[in-house]
Amino acid sequence: MVVEVESFFGVYMLYCTNPKFKGRIYIGFTVNPERRIGQHNAGRHKGGAKRTSGRGPWEMVLIIHGFPSDIAALRFEWAWQHPHISRRLSHVARRTRKESSLQFHWRVVSNMLRVAPWSRLPLTVRWLRQEYRLDFEPGLQPPLHIPLTFGCVRAKKKQQQLEDKEQEESWVEQCLLCREMVKAADRLSCFHPSCMMVCHLICLAKHFLKSEPTHLIPVEGDCPGCRRSVLWGNLIRHRNGCYGDLEEITSYSSQSHWADELQI
Amino acid sequence: MHLEYKSILELLVARKKKNQVPLVPITPMPGFSDMDTPDLKKRLDRFGVRPLPKKQMVLKLKEIHQYTHQLMTSESEEETSPPALLSFKQPTAPPPVSPRKLQFGSEDHDVLPASQDSNTSSTCNLSRSNPELCDSDDDGSDGEGITASQAAMLEKDKLLAVRSFIQSDPVLYGRVLQYQPLSLSELKARLRTAGIRLGTAKLLDFLDSQCITFTTAKPGHPARSRRKARTRAPAAGPGRAGGRGKKRMAKPAD
Repeated sequence: MVVEVESFFGVYMLYCTNPKFKGRIYIGFTVNPERRIGQHNAGRHKGGAKRTSGRGPWEMVLIIHGFPSDIAALRFEWAWQHPHISRRLSHVARRTRKESSLQFHWRVVSNMLRVAPWSRLPLTVRWLRQEYRLDFEPGLQPPLHIPLTFGCVRAKKKQQQLEDKEQEESWVEQCLLCREMVKAADRLSCFHPSCMMVCHLICLAKHFLKSEPTHLIPVEGDCPGCRRSVLWGNLIRHRNGCYGDLEEITSYSSQSHWADELQI
Repeated sequence: MHLEYKSILELLVARKKKNQVPLVPITPMPGFSDMDTPDLKKRLDRFGVRPLPKKQMVLKLKEIHQYTHQLMTSESEEETSPPALLSFKQPTAPPPVSPRKLQFGSEDHDVLPASQDSNTSSTCNLSRSNPELCDSDDDGSDGEGITASQAAMLEKDKLLAVRSFIQSDPVLYGRVLQYQPLSLSELKARLRTAGIRLGTAKLLDFLDSQCITFTTAKPGHPARSRRKARTRAPAAGPGRAGGRGKKRMAKPAD
C-alpha cells in the first residue's frame, strides 16, 4: 500500500546494508523519498550525498513527514543530525555503548517529537521498512496527535484546481462561529465530505484554543459542524488544496518495495 | 629647611638619580600590548572579566597586573616585606580586587604607580585597602535596580505582549495559523515599532515554544542555487540560533 501525499516535506533515516559499513545511519531531508533513495544509491554523480556515496546499498527505513514547510523540515533534519549541539535537545544523552546507531537515532527522534518547536506540528512517524521497526520507549511516547504508521509513501504533485474551486464558490458564506461573512482569504472548512462547516480561520483557531489559551496554533479540536475530532494540520492542508492524502491508495500491491526497484 | 615646592622637586630628582629605576616590578609585566586577542581574552577570563575591545583588554590587564603584583625599589629589596604582601607576588593568586569591580573601576587606575615614592609597601597597601575597590561590589553594577523576580515578570509581560501582538494582526496571525514561516527580521522590526522590545534569543525561544516556524533569511534576498541550498544552516540547533542567517528561502533540491 502506497500513501500519496501532496506538498510533501519529510526527514528520513537511511540504514546502510553494505556489510562493510553495516548499521550506519544517514539522516536527510526530501520532498520526494522515492527519488531521493535512488539518488543515494546511485552515488554522488547522480545526486546522492557525499557521505552515502559508494557505501550503499542504503535502505530508507523511517521517515517523519507532514512538515508544513521546507524550513520546518530542514530545521528538524539539522537537529536530528546534531542532537548534542541543538539547543532544543540538551536533555538527550549521548549514545551509550550498548546502543546501536539505529537505536540512538530512534531515541533522538522520539525525544524530538516531544519538544518544541516540533511537538505541535502535524507530523507522522512512518516506518517504511517494518523489519527495522523500533517501539517508542515508555517514557518517550510521542504526542497523541502524531500517528505511527507503516508502509510506503509517495510525494504527489499538487493539483492546480484551487482557483477554479474558489471561483465556483462565489456565493456568500457565513462563519459558523461568528456569523459574519467569510472571504476566501480567511476561509476554513471541514475536510469531511459530508460536513458543510465553513468558518473564519481565526474564529476556529480561537475556538480550538479555548482549552489551551497559552498557545497560538491549535493542534486539534472538534469540528463545530460535524463534531468529529479534526487535526488543525489537516484543516490547513485541506485549505491549501492538498488533501488527497486522506484517500489512501488502496492498491494493496504485493509488488516489491519501491525502494528495492530503485536500488542499483 | 622650608619644604618648598622647589625643594621637594629637587629631592625627587635627587632620588631619581640615586637609583635609576626607582620601582621594579618583581614579576615583570607580560607584553600585553603585543598579545593576540584570544590570549588576552583568556587572561581576562581568569579574573572573571568578560571579553572587551582589544585596547581595553590591554589596559585592563595592565591594571590588574599593577593591582596584583608588588612593586619594589631596589633598596627595599633588603627589607623583609610584610607577610600580608607576599601573596601579591604570586601571579596566579586570585586578584585581591573583586573582578566585577575591575570592570567598572577603570577610573582608578591612573592613581597608582607613576608618581609613587620609594615607600612602595604603603602604596600597595593603599591600593589594596581602597574601600572603593573591595566593598562596593553590589551597588551600581546590577543596573537598573531591578530584582530577578521583577525582571522575570517584565519578561513575562513582554511575551504576553508578543502573543497579543500576533493575535491582534489578522494577516500575521493568519499566516501563523497556516504554518507559513515568519520572517524573523520583519517580525522584530514590527515588534519594535509596536514598542515591544525583546531580545532575539528570547523571541526565538518564544516562537519555538509556540511551534511557530520562522526564517532568518532576509526577505527579498535571492535564493541561492539549488545545490548550495543543501548546505545546512538551520537556526534550530546551535546556541546562537538565528545568528547565522543562512536559512534558505527557496525549496531545496531535496
